[in-house]
Amino acid sequence: MAGAGGGGNDVQWCFSQVKGAIDDDVAEADIISTVEFNHSGELLATGDKGGRVVIFQQELESKNQPQCRGEYNVYSTFQSHEPEFDYLKSLEIEEKINKIRWLPQKNAAQFLLSTNDKTIKLWKISERDKRPEGYNLKEEDGRYRDPTTVTTLRVPVFQPMDLMVEASPRRVFSNAHTYHINSISVNSDCETYLSADDLRINLWNLEITDRSFNIVDIKPANMEELTEVITAAEFHPNQCNTFVYSSSKGTIRLCDMRASALCDQHSKLFEEPEDPSNRSFFSEIISSISDVKFSHSGRYMMTRDYLSVKIWDLNMESRPVETYQVHEYLRSKLCSLYENDCIFDKFECCWNGNDSVVMTGSYNNFFRMFDRGYRQDVTLEASRESSKPRSVLKPRKVCTGGKRKKDEISVDSLDFNKKILHTAWHPQDNIIAVATTNNLYIFQDKL
Amino acid sequence: MGQRDIVSYETSVRRKSRIRTASTMCRLDVESDVKGPEQHGNALPSSRYMVGRGVKRKLSECEDQMLDLPYPQQRQLVLDLCLDKLQSCQRRAEPSLHRSVLLANTLRQIQREMRQEGGPHHPESPPPAPATPCHSPELPPVPSDRPSTPVAALSSSLLCEDDDAQSTCTELPKGPWSEDVGKLPDLLFGSFEITNSTSYLTDLQLDDIFEDIDTSMYDPSDFSVLACPPPRGSSGASLGNDYNLKAFSTCTTSSSTLQMCLNDLDHIMEILVRS
Repeated sequence: MAGAGGGGNDVQWCFSQVKGAIDDDVAEADIISTVEFNHSGELLATGDKGGRVVIFQQELESKNQPQCRGEYNVYSTFQSHEPEFDYLKSLEIEEKINKIRWLPQKNAAQFLLSTNDKTIKLWKISERDKRPEGYNLKEEDGRYRDPTTVTTLRVPVFQPMDLMVEASPRRVFSNAHTYHINSISVNSDCETYLSADDLRINLWNLEITDRSFNIVDIKPANMEELTEVITAAEFHPNQCNTFVYSSSKGTIRLCDMRASALCDQHSKLFEEPEDPSNRSFFSEIISSISDVKFSHSGRYMMTRDYLSVKIWDLNMESRPVETYQVHEYLRSKLCSLYENDCIFDKFECCWNGNDSVVMTGSYNNFFRMFDRGYRQDVTLEASRESSKPRSVLKPRKVCTGGKRKKDEISVDSLDFNKKILHTAWHPQDNIIAVATTNNLYIFQDKL
Repeated sequence: MGQRDIVSYETSVRRKSRIRTASTMCRLDVESDVKGPEQHGNALPSSRYMVGRGVKRKLSECEDQMLDLPYPQQRQLVLDLCLDKLQSCQRRAEPSLHRSVLLANTLRQIQREMRQEGGPHHPESPPPAPATPCHSPELPPVPSDRPSTPVAALSSSLLCEDDDAQSTCTELPKGPWSEDVGKLPDLLFGSFEITNSTSYLTDLQLDDIFEDIDTSMYDPSDFSVLACPPPRGSSGASLGNDYNLKAFSTCTTSSSTLQMCLNDLDHIMEILVRS
């Protein structure tokens, strides 16, 4: 089984780091709700249910240990969103961070967008490692000097200081969404971005906070006719006029903003006809797409529904070019999963840097990688047991029936409270970040 | 623009006391210090059996039994679960429109199937079951025969909960209440709208806002404020077809009274929120 990892025949995944508290008593605020690498991979941001954003920075590779990539350590922590209370509905607007998206870096500072159900914020993260010293009228601690004691003049100079990382909210984009925001996506033009809620998608200019354009609206005139909601949306990585959005009915619509101001008419509709042999009461629920991601090349897109990952060629709308089963053994358990609400879990998925491998999470803290080229897949586990530094992860296997072999886990033993919904892959290297309920695991390939 | 939020390199954020606070280091900076295998070793403890949110382990056995059930019973089980979930949707701390839509679709599909098979039990085109607003005690109870639309089914099951009377079902005369049927999907799906202080008057019908408030004690003239047209330059809500508001429509439309109405409203809200 050695080498049966993602990224080719010879990739072995090793534990690198784990962040978060060890105890099993998870504070709800610490539940990780989103994970995202920035465009260089140097920074890794996480958002949690308590509205906080934590950014990790990769240390520069040390010359002493060329075999190791740099570790990720805390770079900045800030409270992005606070809970709000809607007095009229007696509903709390959660501060949970639904998504974080980085802007491409243009100068020394880093920018990211973070959103909760209602409000999107643009944060600037900047470093300060110098400060001016030697003022004439002020002491070093800020107290004003008695002007009569000033006998000479000097020019203040910048002196080095301990590195300070500051996060400040630069823009707040609010009051544009009546329903819960599920996605944000920065356009390749770096000037605009979209935000999507259950029924509408809005286009924003990063500089303008009091106005947004509605580009998709699927709200029916009569809410009784509502049968479909938007589940995810993303801009094309290269074409600034193109975006896609997925729905709860398992369809993906590609829209071209040049066609009209309101993109209610799709340019392409991607939908796979249902397999009649798999029909059940839950067919529609499990067809709901929980995540859609373009490949880095922009040629393909990947969708995640409850049981599978599908790769679509943008040139072919009739069916996906590849389908990978994430946990097919759950198909016979759908009723129980429906009863305990697990069937509504929204798993995300991600591509590796060169689009050859895709990854997604599952239950029991398992996550899966599918190598598109070598047609191999592997199941790995993010757990404390396999947390020895640089220990190689052993592939896991779920026994679907019959005799359970040694080291296999039977379906009934899976822990459905331990779910991996959020994963991220470094844009260039084989470094992955996998979020369990309240811990962030970082794995890298064995160098 | 915006406040400067200076965070030094090593500190963490402290949350309000209602949530357990992080330790002095950022809670994600705690490196695990695993010295050996955890206490569970290789054997999975029984607590890690298929437990969802408060669901007993027995479920996994139930599920296998479900597949053994004849199809109509399977369908009934799913239907019951569906209705349960839709009812509890409203009470959840985190209502989800996506979830509700999926549940409603499943319900619709099952009901469509049952209707196709049902034959003589279902009238060809049954009238929608009129529903009663929750807090108008003078209206008769909801008919308890099987309703035709999934949303009406939900409404009747929801409202029957509040109803103590066990009277037989009667067909309500078509009247102003039938307008409420159209509003039920709004009540089901409409509660997911996030309102804010500047747009609530355009997005919602005013009576939806106040439906929880038991108005039977108050003098109708106190509610002149409800009939005031939305003030903040918005052209949205129309009040003409709202039965409840017609009864209270005594307000004059002069601007000074309008301003007083708004002040009353703010005052009332302030009291409600503080209490």
